[in-house]
Amino acid sequence: MVETPKLEQKVRSEQARAVARLLRNPGLVTGAILILMTLLVALLAPFISRDPLFQDLSVRVQAPSSVHILGTDQLGRDVWARVAHGARISLWVGFAVTALSLGVGTFIGLMAGSFGKGIDNALMRLTDIFLAFPSLILAMAIAAALGSSVGNTILAVAVVSWPSYARLVRAQVLVLREREFVEAATALGSSRLRIALQHLLPNVLTPILIQASFDIGQAILIAAGLSFIGVGVQPPTPEWGAMVSETRNFISSAPWASSAPALAILFTVLGFNLLGDGLRDVLDPRARK
Amino acid sequence: MRVSPAVLSLFTLSTLLSLGVASAQNARQTTLVYGGDWSDLITMDPAQSYEFTGGLVTDNLYETLVKFEGTNLSKLKPSLATSWKVVSAGTAEWKVTFKLRAGQKFSSGNPVTSKDVVFSFDRAIALKTNSSFLFTDVANIKVGSTRAPDPLTVEVTVPKTASTAAFLNLLTFNIGGIVDSVEVQKHVANNDYGTAWLKTNSAGSGPFKLNRWDQGQQVVLDANPNSRLKSKLSRIILREIKEASAQKIALESGEIDLAENLTPDMIKVKLTDNKFNVYKADSLRIQYLGMNSGEGQPFADARVRQAVRWAVDQDGIVDGLAGGLAKKIQTIVPYGLFGANTALPYKTNVEKAKELLRAAGKPNGFEVEFLINNGSCAANIPCPDLAAKIQSDLAKVGIKANIKQLVQAEQLKTYRAQNAQLILQAWSPDFPDPDGNATPMSDFGAKSLAWRNKWENVGAAKLTQQAALETNPTKRAALYKQLTELQLNDGWGAMLYQPINPITIATNVVGYVRNAQGQVRFEKLSKK
Amino acid sequence: MLYPLEARNPEVTREVNIVWTYLLKRLGFVIFVVWGVTLATFFIAQVVPGDPALSALGDNAREEQILEWRELKGLNEPVIVQYGIYFRGLLSGDLGTSLRTGRPIVQDLKDFFPGTLELALTSVIFAIVFGVPAGILAALYKDRWPDLLVRLLALLGGATPIYWLAILLLELLNNRLGWLPGPGRLDAYLIPPRAVTGMVGLDSLLARDFEVFVDSFRHLILPAIVLGAFNAALLARMTRSALLEVLGQDYVRTAKAKGVRSSTLIFRHALRNAALPILTVLGGLLGGLLSGAVLTETIFSWPGIGRYATQAATSLDFPAIMGVTLLAGLATSLINLGVDLLYAAADPRISYG
Repeated sequence: MVETPKLEQKVRSEQARAVARLLRNPGLVTGAILILMTLLVALLAPFISRDPLFQDLSVRVQAPSSVHILGTDQLGRDVWARVAHGARISLWVGFAVTALSLGVGTFIGLMAGSFGKGIDNALMRLTDIFLAFPSLILAMAIAAALGSSVGNTILAVAVVSWPSYARLVRAQVLVLREREFVEAATALGSSRLRIALQHLLPNVLTPILIQASFDIGQAILIAAGLSFIGVGVQPPTPEWGAMVSETRNFISSAPWASSAPALAILFTVLGFNLLGDGLRDVLDPRARK
Repeated sequence: MRVSPAVLSLFTLSTLLSLGVASAQNARQTTLVYGGDWSDLITMDPAQSYEFTGGLVTDNLYETLVKFEGTNLSKLKPSLATSWKVVSAGTAEWKVTFKLRAGQKFSSGNPVTSKDVVFSFDRAIALKTNSSFLFTDVANIKVGSTRAPDPLTVEVTVPKTASTAAFLNLLTFNIGGIVDSVEVQKHVANNDYGTAWLKTNSAGSGPFKLNRWDQGQQVVLDANPNSRLKSKLSRIILREIKEASAQKIALESGEIDLAENLTPDMIKVKLTDNKFNVYKADSLRIQYLGMNSGEGQPFADARVRQAVRWAVDQDGIVDGLAGGLAKKIQTIVPYGLFGANTALPYKTNVEKAKELLRAAGKPNGFEVEFLINNGSCAANIPCPDLAAKIQSDLAKVGIKANIKQLVQAEQLKTYRAQNAQLILQAWSPDFPDPDGNATPMSDFGAKSLAWRNKWENVGAAKLTQQAALETNPTKRAALYKQLTELQLNDGWGAMLYQPINPITIATNVVGYVRNAQGQVRFEKLSKK
Repeated sequence: MLYPLEARNPEVTREVNIVWTYLLKRLGFVIFVVWGVTLATFFIAQVVPGDPALSALGDNAREEQILEWRELKGLNEPVIVQYGIYFRGLLSGDLGTSLRTGRPIVQDLKDFFPGTLELALTSVIFAIVFGVPAGILAALYKDRWPDLLVRLLALLGGATPIYWLAILLLELLNNRLGWLPGPGRLDAYLIPPRAVTGMVGLDSLLARDFEVFVDSFRHLILPAIVLGAFNAALLARMTRSALLEVLGQDYVRTAKAKGVRSSTLIFRHALRNAALPILTVLGGLLGGLLSGAVLTETIFSWPGIGRYATQAATSLDFPAIMGVTLLAGLATSLINLGVDLLYAAADPRISYG
C-alpha cells in the first residue's frame, strides 16, 4: 500500500522527464511547430483564404499584392487560397498513405516474426520483391491505369511504402522474442497470436512511430511528384505538386506561382523529417548520440 | 582541410568546360535544329505513320503523286505526277490516270516508275495500317485497283461510291508517299512488306533521306542528292524536347533554331523580343465539347446542349488561355475548308443558358462526369486548364461538371463505347475536305463522333451523303451551309476553337511555311 | 576445381567453400526477386483496367482492327497462358515487344538505359564528392557553424521537391546566367560518338572526341546535381553521425590523447570504420535513383529509362513497364548484393549466413 503512490510518482516524474526531454530537442520542437502550422492552415483554410477554384481571367499570373498575397495563377486563381487548401490534400495523403502502409507492413512484419520459418520466409521474400520495385514507376503505372484521383494516389504510394515497415517490425520482433517476458508468456501457454498482439506489438510501436514520422513527409513528396507528372489528382484540385507543374512555364515571369506550393511542400516535409529525427533522438536510446 | 584530388580535378574540368562552347560553328550555317515534342513518332514508314510528327518527317522523305503548295489546300499541284485526269468508266467506276515525271530517282539511285506507285498503294492497303482506311473506306480502292500500263503511267479505278476529289486529296497525305519498291523488297522479312526496315530507314525520292533516328532524342535528315527537289540546307535535325519550358530555354540559348510547342504565354513574351519571329500556322483542328445526346442522358434535350453553348466563355478561352492564338469557331466546317461556315451566333449569356435549362425541365441544373485526358489541348493549352475554365463556366449556369482525367487511351475507350457524358476532345479531318468533318460528325452510321455522342439524326446523315458526292461546287456549298446550321442548333457538340499553331523561329531562319495539314517543306528552309 | 591453389589447405578450402555457397545462394536469391518482380508487375497489369489497344492503334482504329490486334498480341489468351508466353520469352532473353514503339523491349532498354546509367553514376559521384566531405566537416566542427550549415543544407536537401529544384536551377544557371547548357544530352550540332557503351561521355573519350566529351559533361552537370542533391544530403548526415560515433569510441580517444593529429585520425582510422554504414546508404541510393530519374529526365528532356517509363505508363504499355521494372529490380538486387559483399570483405566479423 505504501508502494503505490511512490510508483505513481515515479511514473509521473518519468513522464515529466520525457516531455521535458522532448521539449529540449530544438529540431523536434521546430518540426512540431511546422507541422502544427500546416495543420492549422489546413483546418482554417476556408476562413483565412478565398475560394481556391474561383477564376478571374482578367487577373491571370499577377504578382503578389494586397488582394492576392501570393499572386494569381494561370487561370487568375488566388495562389494563397490554393496553397492553403492544398495543405488539406497533402496532409490527408501523407497520413492516409502512412496509416495504410503502416497497418499492412506491421501486420506482415508481426506475422513473419511470430509464426515459424515457413511463413517468415514467404512473407519476407514478398517484402523483398516489393522493395526491389522502382517505386515511382510502379505508382505511375497504377495511377495511369486506374485514373488519377486522391484515393488512387494514396493506394499507389502505399503499395510501395509498406515493405519498410514489414522489415522493421520483423527485425524488432526477432530480438524481442528472445526476451524474458515473451519467453514467460510462451511458457504460460499464450498463443502465438496473443503474444504477437499483446506483448510484441506494444514494444515495436516506438520504432514504428519514428519511421512513420519520416514516412508522412516522404509520402507527401512522392504523391506531389505523381501529381507533377500529371497522374496524381484530378484538376482543378489544389494539390501542391500539380500546382508546381501547372505554373512551371511561368517560372521566369512569375516565380511565386510555382515557388509558393513548392515551398509549402518543402516546409511540411521538413517538419516531419525534423519530428522524426527528434523522436528518434529522444525515444530510441540506442540511436541517441 | 587540404584540397582533395576531387576538388582539383573539378577545377581542371571547369577550365575545360569554357572551351566547349565556341566549337561546332560552321555546322550551324548548313544545319537547322527544330525543337519540339516529337514523342508521338513511332515509325518513318509512310504507309504506317499517322501521327503528326510522322507526317512531318515522311512528307520530306517521300514524294506524293500530287501535293499542295504553300498554305493553299484547295488547289492540287503536280508532284511526282505531272498531270492527271479523271474519266467516267461506266456507271460504277471512275478511272484516274496519272502521268509520271520522267527521269526521277530515289535516294538509292533507282528510277521512279509506275511500278513503285502500284507497290506503294497496294502495300498501304495490304498492311491494314492505321491509315489504310483512307484507301479502303474513303476511296473504296483495294489491292489491284492500281495498275501500271507503262513505266510512266498509273491508272487507279475508283468506285463511284467514293468521291474522286477526296481520293486525290488524300494522296497528299502520308499514305500517298511513294516508296522505292526495289529497295524495300530487299528488306522484306516475314512477309512484312519491309515494314520493320522502313520504320527506321528511308527509301524515297523526297528532298531528304534519313541519316539516323536516335529514339527519344533526335531525327537527323540529310539532303537527298538524287532528288529533284534540292534542299538549301544540308541537314535538318528534329530534336525531341518534350517540355515547353525546356524548348524555350533551348531556343534562347541558340541550341535550337525553331521551337514547336511554346505556350501562348511564352509567345507573348517572345513577341516583344526581336531575336525571334512567330510563324502562325493555320490548322484544321477543332477543339470541342462532346455531349452525349442519347435517350436518358443529361444532354438528351437539344435545349440543354444549346444552353452549354451559351454558357461557355469562348472569348475568355481564345483571348485568355490561348493568348489570341486561336480562332473562335462554332460550326463543324471550320476556316480553311471548302464550305467553311464561320458564323458565331452564340455569345456568352448566362441568363439565356439558364432559361434554356428551365425550358428543358432542369431549372436547378445537373451533375455530369467530364472526361479529359492528361495531354495538351489544341493551341498548346494544357487540357487541365481548359477543363477547369469550362467547369467554372458551366458552374455559373448550374451544371456541375466533375472532371475525370484519364490517359488518352482510356478516355478514348470510354468515348468509343458511347459512355462519355461530357468530353473534351479535338478533331482533325483526315484530308482537307469538308466531308472529312461532315461524315464523322453528322452521320450516325459512320460510327464516329456522332455515334459516340449517341446523336442520331436522319436528316443530317442524308445531307452529309448528298454533299459528299455533289460535284457542283455551288450546290455543294449550299448543302454544307444547311448541314452546319442544323448542327449549330441541334448538334451534339459545342465547337470551341480552331488553334493557330505558333512556331517560334530565330530571325536568321527563312522560308518556313506550314499548311493547315501541318506539312512543312524542309527543302525551302535556309539560314541568313 | 574453381580454386585449385587453396585446395591443399583444408581450412582455407572450407572458408572458400562457404564464400561460394553464400554467393550462389545470394545469386539465386537475386533471380528469385527479379522473377517475383515480373510476376507482381504482371499481376498488377492484369488487375488494373487499362486497355492499351487504343494507345497503340490510335483513334482511327476500327473495332475489328482492335480485336485483330488484341489477338495478335495474345491479349485474348487466359492470363496464365499470357504469363507462360512471357516467361518463356524471358528465359531466352526476350522481353516482348513494346506496344507503343513496336520495337523489342530489349532494344528500347538498350537505347535508353545508358542515358540513365550515365546520369545516375554522375549524380552518385556528385553526392559522394559533396556529401562525404560535408559530413566530415560537420563531424569535426560539431555544433559549430560548419556543422550547423551542413545540417541545415542536409535537411533542406532531404525535403526539397527535386522537380522544383530542377526548374529553379535551369532558370537561374541556364536562362538568367547562361553558365550551363539547358535540357538534353548534347548540343544538337555535335555528332554523338559511335555508341560503344551508350554513355555519351565515355564513348566520346573512347573516340578521343574531347569537344563532345566536354559538351556532354556540361549537359550532365545540372541534372546530376538535381538527382544527387537528396543523396548528398543523406550521405552528409550518415557520414556525420557515423564519424561521431567512431570518434566517441575509446581507441580514438586514446589516439587523440597520444597526440595523433585530428586529420590523420579522421582519414586513417575513423573514416575507415565509418565506411561501412556509408556503404550501406550508398547501396540504397543507387536503387532509389531510378525513381528520381523519372522526374529529372522529364524536366531535362533526358533520353533515359525514367522518361521511357513515363511514356510507357501513360500509354498503358505494360510490356514496356515490365521491362523497366525487371531491369530496375535486377539492378537493385545486384547492387544490394555488391554492397553486402563489400561489407563482408571490409568487416571480417560478418558471417556468411
